[in-house]
Amino acid sequence: MIWLTWRQFRTQAVVALAALAALATYLVILGYQMRNAYATDIVGCQPADCVSARRDFADAYEVQVALIGALLIGVPALIGAFWGAPLITRELEERTDRLVWNQSITRVRWLAVKLALLILISMAVTGLYSLLLTWSASRYDELVGDRFGALAFASRNIAPIGYAAFAFLLGTVIGLLVRRTLPAMALTLVLFAVIQVFMPIALRQHLMTPVTSTVQLDEEAIERADFMGFDQNGARLDGYTMPGAWSLTSTSRVFNADGTPYTTEQTEQCRQSDRQTAMACTARQNLHFSYTYQPADRYWRFQWIELSAFLGLALLLTGFGLWRIRTYSS
Amino acid sequence: MTSIIETERLGKRYGRTTALTDCTLRVPAGRIVGLVGPNGAGKSTLLGLTCGLTAPTTGSIVVLGNRPAAGATQLSRVGFVAQDAPVYSGLSVADHLRLGARLNSRWDMSLAQRRIQRLGLNPAQKAGRLSGGQRAQLALTVAAAKRAELLILDEPVASLDPLARSAFLRDLLDFVAELGVSVVLSSHLLGDLERVCDHLIVLAASRVQLSGDVADLLAVHYRITGTAAVPAGADVIHTDNTAREATVIVRSTDPIPGADHADLEDVGLAYMTRAAEASVRIPLEAQR
Repeated sequence: MIWLTWRQFRTQAVVALAALAALATYLVILGYQMRNAYATDIVGCQPADCVSARRDFADAYEVQVALIGALLIGVPALIGAFWGAPLITRELEERTDRLVWNQSITRVRWLAVKLALLILISMAVTGLYSLLLTWSASRYDELVGDRFGALAFASRNIAPIGYAAFAFLLGTVIGLLVRRTLPAMALTLVLFAVIQVFMPIALRQHLMTPVTSTVQLDEEAIERADFMGFDQNGARLDGYTMPGAWSLTSTSRVFNADGTPYTTEQTEQCRQSDRQTAMACTARQNLHFSYTYQPADRYWRFQWIELSAFLGLALLLTGFGLWRIRTYSS
Repeated sequence: MTSIIETERLGKRYGRTTALTDCTLRVPAGRIVGLVGPNGAGKSTLLGLTCGLTAPTTGSIVVLGNRPAAGATQLSRVGFVAQDAPVYSGLSVADHLRLGARLNSRWDMSLAQRRIQRLGLNPAQKAGRLSGGQRAQLALTVAAAKRAELLILDEPVASLDPLARSAFLRDLLDFVAELGVSVVLSSHLLGDLERVCDHLIVLAASRVQLSGDVADLLAVHYRITGTAAVPAGADVIHTDNTAREATVIVRSTDPIPGADHADLEDVGLAYMTRAAEASVRIPLEAQR
């Protein structure tokens, strides 16, 4: 059965390997480019130019890193649609199920061997790509510090391996239920895309209870925020991010030490032409705001949770698929 | 006498369409069974139920003492060639033999290779480029080399030209004798099966119309032509008025003096026609 699985799959395997080899070459080149640029422009920057050097570096590689990351998120989707969905439907459409399911091997074993082998290949291909990209983009990620970002989180380290296993099984099971290749492929792509969007915007942040803490509005905090605005209720701080953390609040009300809202009148006291002096003045006013986030040191726990969750889902789908094919009737 | 196939009120529905209904059969071992019926009669459904590709909606079926496709052992005892002889178009002839060897514990490689050689198939040829007849032969080879006890062939000659048909059937007879297997083969043309089968099942309008050993069936069916009277104990199967002289096919356990025994084609046709006329009549009567 292993022989037949491989015999039927080898063309796709060669295509995947060729694509992976091309990507690997590109990622290695990109990785060395970024390492060189980082070493010369950022590590060796003159203090006065450092901010702009960092911005230039981020700007120079932003598009490439984003594209290659998006492609990695697309790989499990492609695996689900092109390896998973046709796995059973192609046999049904070419009626070879009638040939192969009448050899001296049960359908359950037939499917189990196919799934086991192809899941391993799917995970290996995606995992290799992910690890290469993680290495390649490490300087960029370090600099930008947005590891929890929807795109960055799903395209680095071990999470993509779980997506690959899940997407492959999703395609296979949808194929088994829909019984036709094209609708199964389309449905797999749509469902996987929905899950990949739903996960970062609605679900992931609830996987661990977020931390809410009161942050002192000192000079560093002002520096890490986008801007401070005012309305009739007082001041609010937009876009503050704790280093390496995943911000779950985008806007916070700013309060005085006694808990009353920070007012426009108070800011007038710190209105000064020099930015540094103004910031120091504001910091002396002893202000604070409330901030909800997932701390930076939870990154790996989130990666493991994501991997286990998707592997768990893949396992459930495997069980369902094996049960379904046992009772399958043409 | 042991039965290879035993069904009890077996039925299969697809949604609201009835493919097979109330099918009770006993097929004895060691026969070449012809399953005949018009297109859409339920032949493929019955064969799918026998090899376990299809699950019954009602009733039960036992093949070689077990539930069809109950496990690897049961699968190894039944060989099946589906309609149009599906094969993997991307795999070569040799790959198909390797597939058979890998997936069957009782695989007979020398038998398979002998057949391929005798049929003149090129082992390196992709199965997708074989002619219809060659494909049917390849599928039959894979099923035969499994060394099953029961071989099921669904419309094996439907896609073949008349010359290839008789060659295929002659070849089938040869190796059935060599392997000592029971065979069930279906066709919508009784003429194809007449020469090879010694047991007949007529299926029409989703029901079994007739089943039995050919010799027994021939012994009790007569053809009465012209104005001769039908004896009291005889059961009229069908009256054909289309010819110049009316022909009546009757079933009678008592001999009918002066009447000829009907041949197998007459008998099969009579039962199929009766079923077709009945299924047309029933809806009309239901409207009243």
